[in-house]
Amino acid sequence: MKKISKNTLFFLIIFKANFLLAQYNNLWIPDTLSGTTFNLILKDTFAQFRTGNQTITGAVNKSNFWGPTIIMRKGDAVNFNVTNKLNDSTTIHWHGMHLPAIMDGGPHQIIPPGASWQPYWQVNNQAATLWYHPHLHEMTQQHVTKGIGGFIIIRDSTEDALPIPRKYGIDDIPLALTSRRFLTGNQMAFSLIDNYGDYEMVNGTLKAQLNLPKQVVRLRILNGEIQRGYNIGFSDNSTFFVIANDDGLLDAPIPVTRLAVQTGERYEVLVDLTKATIGGTLDMIAYNSASELQALTPGQNIFGWPGNEGNPSNPTGNNGPINGGLLNNTNFNILRINIVATTSNPITLIPVTLIKNNYWTTAEVSKSRTITITGGQAGTAFSLDNAFFSLTKTNQTVNLGAVEKWTIVNNNIFGHAFHLHDVPFHIISRSGGNMGTNLRTYEQGWKDVVWIPISGSVTFLAKFEDYADSKWPYMYHCHALTHEDEGMMASFVVVNPAGINQENYSDLDFMVSPNPVKDKLFVSSSNPALKVYYIKIFDAAGRTIYMMPMPKLNEGIDMRNFKPGTYTIQVTDEKFKQTITKKFIVE
Amino acid sequence: MKFKTKLIQAKLGLLIIATFSLFTSFKIHNQSVVVDFSLKNVDGNMVSLSDYKSAKGFIIIFTCNHCPFAKLYPKRLNALNKKYNKLGVPLLAISSTDTLIFEEDTFDKMVKKSRSEKFNFPYLIDVNQMVAKNFKAEKTPHAFVIWKDNGAWVIKYNGAIDDNGAEPSKVKEKYVEKAVDAILQGKEVPVKETKSVGCQIHFRG
Repeated sequence: MKKISKNTLFFLIIFKANFLLAQYNNLWIPDTLSGTTFNLILKDTFAQFRTGNQTITGAVNKSNFWGPTIIMRKGDAVNFNVTNKLNDSTTIHWHGMHLPAIMDGGPHQIIPPGASWQPYWQVNNQAATLWYHPHLHEMTQQHVTKGIGGFIIIRDSTEDALPIPRKYGIDDIPLALTSRRFLTGNQMAFSLIDNYGDYEMVNGTLKAQLNLPKQVVRLRILNGEIQRGYNIGFSDNSTFFVIANDDGLLDAPIPVTRLAVQTGERYEVLVDLTKATIGGTLDMIAYNSASELQALTPGQNIFGWPGNEGNPSNPTGNNGPINGGLLNNTNFNILRINIVATTSNPITLIPVTLIKNNYWTTAEVSKSRTITITGGQAGTAFSLDNAFFSLTKTNQTVNLGAVEKWTIVNNNIFGHAFHLHDVPFHIISRSGGNMGTNLRTYEQGWKDVVWIPISGSVTFLAKFEDYADSKWPYMYHCHALTHEDEGMMASFVVVNPAGINQENYSDLDFMVSPNPVKDKLFVSSSNPALKVYYIKIFDAAGRTIYMMPMPKLNEGIDMRNFKPGTYTIQVTDEKFKQTITKKFIVE
Repeated sequence: MKFKTKLIQAKLGLLIIATFSLFTSFKIHNQSVVVDFSLKNVDGNMVSLSDYKSAKGFIIIFTCNHCPFAKLYPKRLNALNKKYNKLGVPLLAISSTDTLIFEEDTFDKMVKKSRSEKFNFPYLIDVNQMVAKNFKAEKTPHAFVIWKDNGAWVIKYNGAIDDNGAEPSKVKEKYVEKAVDAILQGKEVPVKETKSVGCQIHFRG
């Protein structure tokens, strides 16, 4: 027998150790954008996810998957310039943001390729973790799957004052949880049967690992999935603390060992690593096996299915099992955490209290509505109140300032993640269904997505404040992307019955000057009552170049980026929503 | 009586089928056929398939300047043309991208690209996107190998150039080369179709 030399053995050990380390990829932490003016460029690109060919992806700015984290402060007026350099139309929705419907980036706000959309708003949201993502009807799954999206972190003075981690990328980590299915040649699958990915990805990193310091760390968890829910825990079964959900901090940290996170939901958690061993590891795990999920909700799986998650014994389509990913019905690793040395000024304690939330009460309710989950049976698509989404139909009209009670009823075959645009809500009850009658304690707080279990219903209160627009709607829908794409979505407008403008004006007489223009184009009217609702600028070939909802016209429209030529400006007035078009020349 | 009517109907049916197939002969033995075109090259001249009197076939690559994935291929396109042009299978690159949306794809920029990358093949602009539609090209890059068959141009291969964009040294399958080699040797193309990988060609409405 051949003797293996000590050196060879040593190298074998090293090789083995390297091989083990190489199983993980370092978690990508998105860059941040701060300030009040933000430029986002949506583009097609590619990423090396797997051995072999690269995967065609979509991304924002410099990334090759996903986009920068936008950090903004409550009270700031923020201005966006969203340029679509994709080879497809899309939209960008600010998920969780309270803003005018026309700035919301829903399915109506289509940005054609080559166009720049310029929304702006005052940040009214309190400190929270939001996100931005495409919302083009029937294309949301594809555009999100490709990787277009990003986090939004809102900060405010109340949160500033709390002794919780805030060092982005060091002790305050954004984690966008998704999974993907890859076709031959490593391209992503986005057909309607590809609801469940086969490989887990965090911030676009497969098999992610992250160094975290030995102290209290904050994880901002987003479920950015197509449909999969996550039942999150840690490999040492340790207790961790939910400090915020979708739209803000809770009154106090909620200790948990498992946390269910559905599509579109965000949870901020504190993990106490003060007693961890430097050099040691900890795994963040999705405890999604049937036995784990049933332990969470005796009798039935909480994640949509009447029994277990769809599994590979389901009928097989072109791309793999329908609704069955390799991760279905299994416990799988989300993130490998390597414990490293404590940083300077660490947070070492879990706070006892956080902020004081004042929720709406049923005594304030002026209107109740019931939304019923329909369809989905005998091979049909899911719908709301027996209707598929229509871009031209308004399903609900809400009065500005009203506190409303919405009950979402699901006497159907699948659980759904219900998402409301415009304002956060406070859940007051969940009844029936396989989650029992009790709300989970961590579901208190301000939410914009809520899980509606099979055979259950959820009631929440929301106050529709600040922004009325009788034309431009907000959405409510299931956040399972395939469900919304298939039409499980509807719209509402917020109207101001007291504020109906009685003024009369007969002539729409917008003027543009100077013409020809070099630097700044001014839009004005001889009638001071006329207000501009929307401006679009088209080039000589009729292409949309600029889309400016409720433009601020005092400073004029910057023309310095325009090439010389003839352009058309389309001005829509605020009151009658009538449009006037004028030609102008850029020198 | 009934029988006769049926017979006439059958004859009429055959006639209709025959006439129909005369005008829509885009499929011969289940093969897709493309029609010749005339497109402007970066040197200013118009280029058609019929200009190449001795060509047995063509490697047609739909590509563009702006697409990050298309940017990975210029060297490989030069190598393909160097190898196969002299064997009677020239390479033609066609940009069908919407130049109004992607400024980087305008004719001027194509001229610059052709010079900077030292393209040894024509780089044609498909201004009205008709050629891309004729080929049913979807991506940049998207490769086709076409061959002359009874006076018609038949698509023999449709898909990716090879199986690794960013790592040329790790390419395992050179689909285009394999297809051309097979046809030149009088063999059946081993892989006739793959999924083209790259940026979606955005067709104007």
